[in-house]
Amino acid sequence: MTNITRRTLMKAAAATGLAGALGGRMAFAADEPLGIALVVPSPIGDVGWGHALAAGLEPIKAAYGDKVKVTILENIAEGPDADRIMNKTVADGNKVLIAGSFGYQNGALQIARRDPSVTVLHASGFQVAPNFSPFAAKYFQGTYLLGMAAAALSKTGKLGSVSAFAIPELITSINAFTLGAQTVNPNIEVSVVWVNSWFDPAKEQEAAKALIAQQCDVIFSNAQDTPSVISACEEAGVYAFNLNSSMKKYAEKTYLGCVSTDWSPFFKASVDAHLAGSFKGANAFLGVADKVVEVVDWNPAIPAETMTKIKEAEAKIADGSFSPFTGPIAKADGSEGVAAGATLADADIIAMDWHVKGVATPLPK
Amino acid sequence: MSSFALPTLVRRQRASLKATLIAPPAALAVAIVLNLILYVIMGRDPLAVLHAMILEPFLSWASFSEVLLKTGPLLLIAQGLAIGFRAKVFNIGAEGQFILGAIFASAIPVWFPQATGGWIWPVMLLLGAIGGALWASITAFWRVRLNANEILVSLMLSLVAAQFLYYLLLGPWKDPAGFNFPQSVMFQYDAMVPTLIAGTRLNVSILIALALSIVAWVFMEKSFMGYKLQVGGLAPRAAGYAGFKESRAIWLSLLIGGFAAGLAGAAEVAGPLGQLQRSISTGYGYAAIIVAYLGALHPIGIIISSVVMAVIYIGGDNAMVSANLPIAAVRVFQGSLLLAYLIAVAFVRYRLEWPHKARPATTGSTT
Repeated sequence: MTNITRRTLMKAAAATGLAGALGGRMAFAADEPLGIALVVPSPIGDVGWGHALAAGLEPIKAAYGDKVKVTILENIAEGPDADRIMNKTVADGNKVLIAGSFGYQNGALQIARRDPSVTVLHASGFQVAPNFSPFAAKYFQGTYLLGMAAAALSKTGKLGSVSAFAIPELITSINAFTLGAQTVNPNIEVSVVWVNSWFDPAKEQEAAKALIAQQCDVIFSNAQDTPSVISACEEAGVYAFNLNSSMKKYAEKTYLGCVSTDWSPFFKASVDAHLAGSFKGANAFLGVADKVVEVVDWNPAIPAETMTKIKEAEAKIADGSFSPFTGPIAKADGSEGVAAGATLADADIIAMDWHVKGVATPLPK
Repeated sequence: MSSFALPTLVRRQRASLKATLIAPPAALAVAIVLNLILYVIMGRDPLAVLHAMILEPFLSWASFSEVLLKTGPLLLIAQGLAIGFRAKVFNIGAEGQFILGAIFASAIPVWFPQATGGWIWPVMLLLGAIGGALWASITAFWRVRLNANEILVSLMLSLVAAQFLYYLLLGPWKDPAGFNFPQSVMFQYDAMVPTLIAGTRLNVSILIALALSIVAWVFMEKSFMGYKLQVGGLAPRAAGYAGFKESRAIWLSLLIGGFAAGLAGAAEVAGPLGQLQRSISTGYGYAAIIVAYLGALHPIGIIISSVVMAVIYIGGDNAMVSANLPIAAVRVFQGSLLLAYLIAVAFVRYRLEWPHKARPATTGSTT
């Protein structure tokens, strides 16, 4: 995906002569460091979403040294304050703005429209503008693999997920998790608790305990920024995994694995394109093949036979010969989701608003 | 009872005007010095922080307009609350009334997204004010009927209001094209309060807030009803003998507080937000309580204190962006300023009496 994106970038730049027009800006950029600002709604901390985004900027700092200046703003609630803070970062001279949450979309888009010299990267959104790229990870590629491991380890045949918001990104993660589990145990059942918050450790922990009480014995911590769910599961002796960055140190025994994200290839490519004056907004939906998504810290308790199957599936996902969303897939309400033999296109995955059969909890309407 | 005794606070006969006027700037100075020391320890450039926090909000129209934008809701809510506080009716639930105001106002653009016309935003503001007042009336009803503590009822109702907002955003009012994210549709152009200065987010609602501040002053200082409220607060029994009904004071205080908070909520969704979403308030309802007391519950004082509070907010955000200050340090500054002010005010009203001066009769509280 990155490859395609980058190639399109080059072509577009060449075709429109954008690079020439922006030559002046490049000269300017050489004089003073390129300001890069990252805004995230939760604490950066040691783990989680904000941490992964911040870590994605490290290779840029290493590569460019004094030529870039990175500003990270954490704990910025979505809303009018976030708009002002993003405006302020741009007014202060930052030219690359990474808006690290869906809820920043409208404010960040306005900034991009007002000032074409600013490049905006926006997490999890759907709007695209010439200098505004939404980016999202194909978490589902990793959760599919962890679903296979979860089903192999589950004794009750019940899996659970503590999930932040019912937006497509998280829905697809749960769906792929369920589909992966079904390859091992077709009768597996997945329950979901929507906590409707990006950061509410107490509520997340309660939700995990509720799922465990309902006999779910593998829990998917879907988009939590703290080890709230992971540590509650370790205490209860239940397997658990999460997204973004490894939380193994919080659950030495029952940590199933991590669908980790490394944003640096995407950030680096975007900053390079910005500096070359060739940035062009596009939907960046990045996965295993782009080196953005990778499952790490597999639990040694996963049966060797399952692990072999997982590795096979992983290789096929990486080379593009297989997608978790390959039909036939039935929706939770029984209707057809994906026809036999068909594969969902990225555009349909990005907009997914239905659960697959096997997810017991109905989607909030 | 040890032989070592701490000094006691003794109420002054009368607070001097000079001390009253010196207290706020003195508190500001103390807070600044303490925090500068903190920044030096943290290895930040203290002057850069100070510049970003205190000066920058005033250095350009763009940033001063943001101060005024932030002042609007604080000013409105605090004026409404102060009237109740002077009558000793403690409405702590302005946050909930603010949310209900936002919800009521959003009903028009959510249900009639195609509607056009200049009538829309004024009607939205009015609806919002009514929504806030209705929410506050629940508290008033139980206080008058069952003598239920209005502090608890109004505070708890704020939590209920937040849940009601989440319900609407996750359910019936969710933007159908919003990818299931809990937010409403973006409001149409006519559902937005007109901008006051082109190129900024400052809108007409600040003028409404200032106009209502004058109304609040006239009401409290010049009207018989305002006088009755004040007497009820200062001397409830005297008010009772004079035939001023307590229940009326409770109703009036809460309805005014709810009306103002609801109006502020409506102005926020129809202003900088442009849609109903989960994080419509960053605690305006609670911050306004501080603003009301910082302004000595006086309409003119509140105008000043709301601007000061807004500068602290905006300056804090600036310091985060420009001076690389962590958000926790910004909150420490905000907290220490308020603490310093409260201590300063205590010394305006009280003086320290050291044990060796204390007469035996007044040392009962020293332990």
